[in-house]
Amino acid sequence: MATQQTAAQLRHDDGRYGDGRSGGGHVTFGRVLRSEIIKFRSLLSTLVLVLATVAVLVGFGALGAWGVGSALEATGPEAFMAEGGPDRIANTLAGSGVTFAQLIIGSLAVLVISSEFATGSARSTFAAVPKRYPVFLAKVLLVAVVSFVVSAGSMLLTAMVINPIVEHYGLEQDTGSGDFQRMLWIGSLYVTAVALSGFALGALLRNSAGAIVSLAGLFFVLPVACQLIPGEFVADLRRFLPSEAASQLITGSTGPETLELWQSWVVLGAWVVVPLALAGTVLQRRDV
Amino acid sequence: MIQAHSLAKTYGPKRAVDGVTFTVQPGKVTGFLGPNGAGKSTTLRMAMGLDRPTSGTITVNGKALAGHRAPLREVGALLEAKSVHKSRTARAHLLALASTHGIGRARVDEVIGITGLGTVAGRKVGGFSLGMGQRLGIAAALLGDPQTLILDEPVNGLDPEGVLWVRNLARGLAAEGRTVFLSSHLMSEMAQTADHLIVIGRGSILADAPIAEILAARNRIRTLVRTEQPAELMNALAAPGVTLTRLDAETFEVLGADARTIARRALERQVLLHELTPLQASLEEAYLELTKDDVEYQSSVGAVPGAGKQA
Repeated sequence: MATQQTAAQLRHDDGRYGDGRSGGGHVTFGRVLRSEIIKFRSLLSTLVLVLATVAVLVGFGALGAWGVGSALEATGPEAFMAEGGPDRIANTLAGSGVTFAQLIIGSLAVLVISSEFATGSARSTFAAVPKRYPVFLAKVLLVAVVSFVVSAGSMLLTAMVINPIVEHYGLEQDTGSGDFQRMLWIGSLYVTAVALSGFALGALLRNSAGAIVSLAGLFFVLPVACQLIPGEFVADLRRFLPSEAASQLITGSTGPETLELWQSWVVLGAWVVVPLALAGTVLQRRDV
Repeated sequence: MIQAHSLAKTYGPKRAVDGVTFTVQPGKVTGFLGPNGAGKSTTLRMAMGLDRPTSGTITVNGKALAGHRAPLREVGALLEAKSVHKSRTARAHLLALASTHGIGRARVDEVIGITGLGTVAGRKVGGFSLGMGQRLGIAAALLGDPQTLILDEPVNGLDPEGVLWVRNLARGLAAEGRTVFLSSHLMSEMAQTADHLIVIGRGSILADAPIAEILAARNRIRTLVRTEQPAELMNALAAPGVTLTRLDAETFEVLGADARTIARRALERQVLLHELTPLQASLEEAYLELTKDDVEYQSSVGAVPGAGKQA
């Protein structure tokens, strides 16, 4: 027991107590990141949500491939000319599930921070790292890497899984094509952006349900609503939605109705940077 | 060492902590005593850097906690039991905290052993009893082998064996020269553990002294006196600072003069006393007297002595 140890064993020359028994040293970013990885991995919900993301991407990819294939058999390739022809479509099928996968990864990102406050573990976390920002940055890095790797990995897996289906319908999926590459990388970046926005919402609201609902509203409901509501103002607004910016970047073409490509990058970036900056500032100042 | 200087915290119109100044010295157990809602937890949260003071400062070992490079090695705190994600195992929780300072698995297993959590360390914290949660909180506080320990209501929910364990742990840590700051709303607990008391009520410090001194100062000597000559006794004892309370026809409670003085004055005036009993007030009474004006939630039938300690 601790009580049986004597003071002499513990006291340093300068009279202070320290790592005599505990080992270890001071807080570094690498150590905080390691701590966050342990926390992330030690929850079952993490595994469940990651697997759900993979399943949704693969599932919707397969569904999309089957849907496009059947439509092609029924109507012929003319129906797809507006989208650049059936082969171009085949190249983006692996990303069919992104709309849904973003919500699952986004929820995971929300939970990374909101669950700290919901369960009270934030007290332990920020008492150990009272500077706070290393925790925030470590979580941001973790969320970004996990979201990007999971979505890119899942889309590659999807491409492999759906290839037989695509070929069955006489289409060709070219993973070296610009369409596939843009979908893979920009699509994964988009999912990462959604996750980081979700993380910021979680940090600001400190409430899992509230943040997940807000995230779904912004990234899922709002784009649909903007499509349904007529009017020039709504159409203007729509171009500044992250999902619109991302889909424009993925198609890689501009038109009179759309923003320039660089503007779309700025829009997508702003949806990450602004909420994160706000969340970081609030986390640094507000009482835990 | 913990030092608070003009420390204040305001929530809206309510001043939870109202400009307190105190020092918690190493080498002894300092009790932080006050009724519920007195500002104890708020003060401790400010010490841990979780709440930002509205004004004033509180430092641990000379600096605000965020100024230390290895906070866990400076101060370990049990602030609220179960400051843990419910779905995480106790070991994973401790391991994650330890990792922030590069503290190894061996120390994690060691604190699990010290706190007696060995058999449940692999279980999810959500299923822990309040007592097990307290032990886990204490394990987390000990991780960095800190110089200063802050324990907020550590015996809450513990069984008698656990209460004794916390008491010995606190005393042992203080004996090693560490600073141990222990909050409680239970006077009885303090009487058995603390060397020094800081009493807080409604956000202000009411007393800051060694426990014996608080007893002596607050517990002005009371003596029960019985005589068949009440009028003569009142004359005999009339002096500044001496109060007589008449309990019945021949019984008085005398405040401000000890038994020896009362006996001498009675003899001088030829007053026969047939009872002369010094009354030792308990620490409990001293506490109630200290805080009687400062309890936030006073029971309406609050005349029962000791009612204040039930929460």
